[in-house]
Amino acid sequence: MAELGRLLILAALALASAGALVGFSAGRSGSARGLRITRGLALAFAACLVGATGVMEYALITHDFSVEYVAHVGSLATPLHITIVSLWSSLDGSILFWGFILAVYTTGFVLATRGRHEDMQPYTLATIMAVGTFFTFLIAGPANPFGDTPAPIPTDGPGPNALLQNHALMIIHPPMLYMGYVGMTIPFAMGVAALLKGRSGAGWTRPLRRWMLIPWGFLTCGIILGGWWAYEVLGWGGYWAWDPVENASLLPWLTATAFLHAAMLQERRGLLAGWTLVLLLVTFQLTILGTFMTRSGVFNSVHSFTQSPIGPTFLVFLAMVLIASVVLVAANVHRLAPGRPIESPASREAAFIVNNLLFAAFTFTVLVGTTFPLIAEAARGVKVSVGEPFFDQFAVPLGLAIVFLMGVGPAMPWGRATGAEVARRMGPPLLGGLVLAALGVALGVRDVLPALTLLVAGFAVSVTLRDVWDPVRARMTAKGESLGRAFASALRRGRRRFGGQVVHIGVAIAVVAIALSQSYQIIGEGVIDKGATLTVSDYTLQFVDARSVTEPHRERTIATIAVSKGGRDLGTMEPALNNYATEMNAIGSPAVRTSPVEDLYLSVMSIDPRGQSIGLRVFINPAVAWLWIAMGVMVFGCLIAVWPTRRSEASGAVA
Amino acid sequence: MSAAPEGGRAGRGFSYKALIIGLVVTLPLLALLYMGLSMDPHRMDAPLVGKPAPPFELHRLSDGQLVSLESLRGKPVILNFWATWCMPCRQEHPFMVSAAKKLGDKIQFVGIVYQDKNEMVNAWLDAYGGRGYPTLIDAGTKTAIAYGVYGVPETYFIDSQGVIRDKVVGPVRPDELFELAGRLQ
Repeated sequence: MAELGRLLILAALALASAGALVGFSAGRSGSARGLRITRGLALAFAACLVGATGVMEYALITHDFSVEYVAHVGSLATPLHITIVSLWSSLDGSILFWGFILAVYTTGFVLATRGRHEDMQPYTLATIMAVGTFFTFLIAGPANPFGDTPAPIPTDGPGPNALLQNHALMIIHPPMLYMGYVGMTIPFAMGVAALLKGRSGAGWTRPLRRWMLIPWGFLTCGIILGGWWAYEVLGWGGYWAWDPVENASLLPWLTATAFLHAAMLQERRGLLAGWTLVLLLVTFQLTILGTFMTRSGVFNSVHSFTQSPIGPTFLVFLAMVLIASVVLVAANVHRLAPGRPIESPASREAAFIVNNLLFAAFTFTVLVGTTFPLIAEAARGVKVSVGEPFFDQFAVPLGLAIVFLMGVGPAMPWGRATGAEVARRMGPPLLGGLVLAALGVALGVRDVLPALTLLVAGFAVSVTLRDVWDPVRARMTAKGESLGRAFASALRRGRRRFGGQVVHIGVAIAVVAIALSQSYQIIGEGVIDKGATLTVSDYTLQFVDARSVTEPHRERTIATIAVSKGGRDLGTMEPALNNYATEMNAIGSPAVRTSPVEDLYLSVMSIDPRGQSIGLRVFINPAVAWLWIAMGVMVFGCLIAVWPTRRSEASGAVA
Repeated sequence: MSAAPEGGRAGRGFSYKALIIGLVVTLPLLALLYMGLSMDPHRMDAPLVGKPAPPFELHRLSDGQLVSLESLRGKPVILNFWATWCMPCRQEHPFMVSAAKKLGDKIQFVGIVYQDKNEMVNAWLDAYGGRGYPTLIDAGTKTAIAYGVYGVPETYFIDSQGVIRDKVVGPVRPDELFELAGRLQ
């Protein structure tokens, strides 16, 4: 089995490097035959990687411990669905999974571009194959999951990392994140092709916007799911800790978001061409940097289970990508259209430019904060850690400003707005913001930051709703269409714009949820004897019982806590401590009772061995559920914008 | 909008200014990450084995007296880093106390408390196995850093010449402790 896997990987490596070479030469010569061969090589490369992943899955499911990776993460006691996902539970497998996703994207790209943008395709495919060469090299060499297990071959294995077995979200969070990370390869490759072809003039971003939106949607989903997983599993009551690996996923999201906006400005007004290009390249570089951070063990993080010796190889790849990008940009600077200077600060252009500056500042500070421990150690030899206060200090004002601009941008016209126009366009939405803030104050918001958040979020949502409503109303009055019909046709005509608006609403919901949950979290803690109660805010928690359950792969101690709020019985909750055979520390399973208003979150700190008392941490987290709802809204918006229509299929051919 | 002709190749109009700016930004980042690789926090542990144990001089919890590694020289030392907030330490401590009772005339056991408060430490010792050997307070966690302690508990086996022979991350298993202690003599 291991041998078949190795063979497929070596074939993929050969096909990828051949594809890169043929692609680059076809790009130079413009040969149609070269392109056909490149496309064939790309599909064959993808097929080999998919095949290798299939071999690994087969080995995992059949518990073939002669394959080193299976001996490393497999276990007869592990349930089937966990065995399947243990493909990405450890480094070597996750790099293979990475290759698999690249294979899926490559296939998608080849199939979707049949007969389109043929002049750009060879370089694009060549770049994708060059990235593929690197990853298959990693799989074939430094991170080879298909090694032979040294004899004697064990009859059972340790099973995957316990944290990965703890929650269903772990099944979906890594694939989403990887789909986001890996997918950035496609727009990057298209950007590189545009540069190599000297097509970085006006409008060059248009064909790649959709290819950027797809990974952007996955990345958004992956980041929030990661927070959700941390919240449901790690037991410290929060969803975001500015952990280096969390930051690593946020960084490309920030630049990709900035890119999507800059590209709009570039298409509509010919502005910021060079900047847009740099954002595109940086986004891909940050995905590589992020993987390096997660995989090299350079940073201390909750993800430190993925450290490995592939750091140096990754760094060489990162260096190659960075230097090639710099050279490509330097060779094309003279071609970048400077565009007309913006006419007025009271314009949509200005709002977009400020928005991009804020995103850049956000990216820069997160990057500095994340790498600062390295800088400090290199410069002064001391170990420091940069904590939440540092990040919060800038993330809060920057985030608020970005949400405010999310309203200003769409509210302002292109070009120039007069004072009266500004007042007319900004006035009613600002009033909407004030109403939301007043509502918040009436419901008990007493602090400046959450009130301000409600104000800017309400403003942005009001702008968005007006933007959605205006064309519908225009159709209803001009053409006498019914509401539903007018809405449907407005949607059909401005799908991408409408999708963007839905995403904006999702962002506003997320930001409000973050502000409320961060500002009004209540934490209680105590040791409760059997039968006794602990009161936190208006919740009364009674420790009823503790019981031990033996499962094949773990020993659980489950506490039963009777919950009542203001005298009303809410039933029981069952936080637990899990002892895995392979882990020295007990790992908690917090119990979360979710409602639209607040979550009650119980985390067991300790259970005394006779089960007579427990140490309990209690968190009351307001509005957290809305963060997960916001994710759904954002993904839905992204889907609307990306979903192919017959019209865009047709127009794609000429774009 | 773009007046520049398309289809040209690098060479004409190559901007050295952009190249230099780009390299000035990217090269230091790469250098930093390269240094980061050699500073791997997880790999700092192994090099200490076989090397002289970093010296320390810390206050004893019981009477505030200063105890140094130097003053323990001549007898092998089992150095156990722990903390009150650490769950596995609770499981480990009673066993360490009983092992110290058994091996105490040949081996000096020392506990070093890491990132903690004195009153918490006293309460913890009362609750989880008592005081069979000296407990030192690592104010400012300097000693833990010198030893490269990554998590607690961590136990170092130091021979009578003051050389670290072994280390165990996480709670020490009974058989493991007796085996490693045997090697110290």
